[in-house]
Amino acid sequence: MADKKNKTRIAPLSWLTRMFMGASKSLPDDFGQRAPENDVEELVSPGKQYFRNFMERKLAVGAACVVIAMFLLVFIGPFFMPGYDDAYTEVTQKNVPPGFRMMDVPKALKNDVKMIDAYGTFSVGLSNAGDVYVWGETNIGTTNIDIADIPAEVKAANIVMVAAGFDHIVAIGDDGTVYAWGNNRLGQYGYFDPEEYPNIAPMPDELLNGKIDVANIKKIEAGYQATAILMNDGSFYLWGNKNAYGNIDNILMYDNKLVDIGLTLNYVVVVPDSAKTVFTGAKGLYTKFKTDIQGETESLSAILDGRTIKELACAGSNISLLLSDGSVILSGDFARGSKDMPALGDGEHFTTIQSGSYHYTGITNEGNVYAWGGNVLGQCRVPGAADKASTIFSCAFQNYAVNDSGKLVTKWGLSGYLFGTDGYGADIFQRLINGGTMTMTIGAIAVVISTIIGIIIGCISGYFGGKVDILLMRITEIFSAIPFIPFAMILSSIMGHYPVGETTRIFIIMCILGVLTWPGLARLVRGQVLVARENEYVTAAKAMGVKESKIAFKHILPNIISVILVTLTLDFAGCMLTESSLSYLGFGVTYPTPTWGNMLNGANNATIIKNFWWQWLFPALFLAITTICINIVGDTLRDVMDPKSSAEK
Amino acid sequence: MGKYIIKRIAFMLVVLVVLSFIMFLIYNLVPNNRAYTDANNEIKTYKHGLTAEERETKFDELYLQYQRRYGTDTDNMVVRYLRWVGLYPLYDGSFNGLLQGNFGYSYEYRDNVINVVGEPMRNTIFINVFATLLALGITIPLGIFCAVKKNSKGDQAVQVVTIIGYSMPTFLISILFIWIFCSLLGILPPSGMKTPGSDYTGIKWFLDRMYYMILPLIVMTFSSLGGMTRYVRASMIEALSMDCIKTARAKGLREKVIIFSHAWRNALIPIVTLVVGWFLGIFGGSVVIEEMFGLNGMGKLMIDSLRKTDFDVVMFMQIFYVAMSLLGNLIIDIIYGLVDPRVRVNK
Repeated sequence: MADKKNKTRIAPLSWLTRMFMGASKSLPDDFGQRAPENDVEELVSPGKQYFRNFMERKLAVGAACVVIAMFLLVFIGPFFMPGYDDAYTEVTQKNVPPGFRMMDVPKALKNDVKMIDAYGTFSVGLSNAGDVYVWGETNIGTTNIDIADIPAEVKAANIVMVAAGFDHIVAIGDDGTVYAWGNNRLGQYGYFDPEEYPNIAPMPDELLNGKIDVANIKKIEAGYQATAILMNDGSFYLWGNKNAYGNIDNILMYDNKLVDIGLTLNYVVVVPDSAKTVFTGAKGLYTKFKTDIQGETESLSAILDGRTIKELACAGSNISLLLSDGSVILSGDFARGSKDMPALGDGEHFTTIQSGSYHYTGITNEGNVYAWGGNVLGQCRVPGAADKASTIFSCAFQNYAVNDSGKLVTKWGLSGYLFGTDGYGADIFQRLINGGTMTMTIGAIAVVISTIIGIIIGCISGYFGGKVDILLMRITEIFSAIPFIPFAMILSSIMGHYPVGETTRIFIIMCILGVLTWPGLARLVRGQVLVARENEYVTAAKAMGVKESKIAFKHILPNIISVILVTLTLDFAGCMLTESSLSYLGFGVTYPTPTWGNMLNGANNATIIKNFWWQWLFPALFLAITTICINIVGDTLRDVMDPKSSAEK
Repeated sequence: MGKYIIKRIAFMLVVLVVLSFIMFLIYNLVPNNRAYTDANNEIKTYKHGLTAEERETKFDELYLQYQRRYGTDTDNMVVRYLRWVGLYPLYDGSFNGLLQGNFGYSYEYRDNVINVVGEPMRNTIFINVFATLLALGITIPLGIFCAVKKNSKGDQAVQVVTIIGYSMPTFLISILFIWIFCSLLGILPPSGMKTPGSDYTGIKWFLDRMYYMILPLIVMTFSSLGGMTRYVRASMIEALSMDCIKTARAKGLREKVIIFSHAWRNALIPIVTLVVGWFLGIFGGSVVIEEMFGLNGMGKLMIDSLRKTDFDVVMFMQIFYVAMSLLGNLIIDIIYGLVDPRVRVNK
């Protein structure tokens, strides 16, 4: 037993030494001298010779390393992405370019933070000195708007409050002027004639042309394409895109004074001054509350039990309420995998809560910072240093902890994407890794299927010859006459008319690929067998009375395995390419399951090719590099195993 | 030779029949009942005077009528297939199948399939012929150069480039070229066949068309460079190592004569067969390019028809592709037989 263990530990090591030093050189010379090279020609098995020849080609060794690295990446990588979901979409994170700039707070702001806000891919910060800073991914879609171009009048003014929406920023100067910049095509700010644009709730005239009572502003909040300002006396201003926020009209007609107002992704939520209810104008929305994400829901009045609502925090599809006794209750849908509410110690209660796009943070009376809610992009991983903070600015997927003197203590959350995001807002890197698994699995299984069929048919046809050979070769010809891509397309499209699951579909695609690629290999095997069966060892086996089928598969097959190996390698690349082409055309694996081919599906128009280069460049690079390297390896293998070509060398 | 050709043609016909039967069966898997649709459409045009019961009997009557017209009034697939080909009479005793020139009816274009595919087929053949000529013009000199200067720096560079060329799928090359020529340089149109709204004739029309064809042609040529060059190189190397070349060298012939007169002729045999096969195979391969560049070709028509479930068109294309590839095989076989007598003796 111990002996066995020992062996398994040593074996890979000796392989490595052999790989780099060569097997025959593993015996060290006692005198520190090497035997003269051409003294006696050493005997090397063909396999070893192939391996040695292969190792001499630097390009091929490099390519083999890349292929192995790619394999490891796509087959081990997914284990490090537990939160990955094929169908993940995020409306505020569409088409984000690669980079990690989302939390790069400008140096000048770091020690002087008054407030920070974000909703989409950029953040806006305000210093105590009244200066505005913008950072993150500031180019908005294909609009050519760079939100980091802060208007000159904003730079000149002394700003006291800022709020960031999905593609606009609203700032209020100390004289009460309301500034806004960014995208205003959908009523985010500016003047819109209500007759002409019925779907826009226009910005109030007193804000556009007049001044706002700065001292009385309680809160300013910007949402997807809407903005709300709440005053201390409970009155409020609200404007924006009614298509994004369907209940703007209901809220504008709601004639109550407000305690708080918030914007989720689709609804405006308000708390009237009774502080006992939540109003949205939509029936049944946010009426049932719970104390924990997994908890039972109750009606609001039952759960309040005499307490009142102090603060409202709105995330994308859910809300949190801070009650008068410092406890927090939740309502709405939480995604699977959301972080649960923290368990507070005795006497500990929340003093304030903040919301990001999916998560919430709260500070307790003991100065501890807790986070709960959606944690897909690491928003809830609160670092220890955060407890020194007095204020937390949670916005979008980022959190900034600031202490009493306005110094940025720590920050956590999403800083960016390595390869950017696609048109659905999903991380391209994660999709690439998971898509690679799919592409390579499909390629591998298709090749295995085609190899098995090819070997069986080739062996039988070559070894037995005669009528069997003619019949099988005619069948092979029929198969090779089928035009590949059109045929695969029609089969795949017919499959679409039947209710088959995605897994079955993918499996059928593998089979189609496998069943259509075998003729080449079958012909090759047949030719090799034809040559091999004239060899003496076959005659010897026949003389010994070995069964015919055994001779074909056990004696001849191992001798032609090298040829098969080469074809296998090249076919693997071929199958990957075909799958990619099919998926690219939309007849292979379809969204949401990623493959390298269908990730390029969106890249068939010039706009995307030009503006969102990261969406096609990375999948294209991965696919191209992998197939090129596999082909180089296969080509070199063929050269190495072909005695004719090495003799020429 | 004559006997050999006849044998091959006979075999090709058998394969065509087998494949078309398989295609027909697959095509019939599509949940698409033309007679039912037509009957349904026609019953809707009737005035509302009919009662529900009358309507039902009328519908049954119409349905049967349409089934008989389309030859689907039987579940026997062989009969249906023969009717589709035109070898078995329909209910009324007439023949109306492929052999009678009935290739089906396109619902999308409201026309007979044969009229629908005319224009795309011309376009496809045009770009394929052009791309083939271009590719041959580049690959043959390049392959010869690589074979003659084997293992030189230039050869190695070409080897690396060609391996990249044939490892990259066509659509990737298209994206890359669109990016370079349309987005970065902005000198070529990314898609389309003519300037929108233009109505040119004569030489102007041709120039306009060529302007839009440049990019697809470049892509098509480029994507076929890799495999072809390697093939030419390999067969040229093979030819250069023949004994006759050694003799020629020993005779003191000039190197140019040896390469172009002695070696090239020997290398040509496999190349010619490859070119024919490849030219016919390109029809299937141009599906991606046509879709990518919005060219009105066979491939695009097929994809559109598949998406819009216009299956008569798809069926026609499929048969066309099969016939093309069989024809290619036949031509290759015949050329092989012509150049290599052993082949026709063996079979």
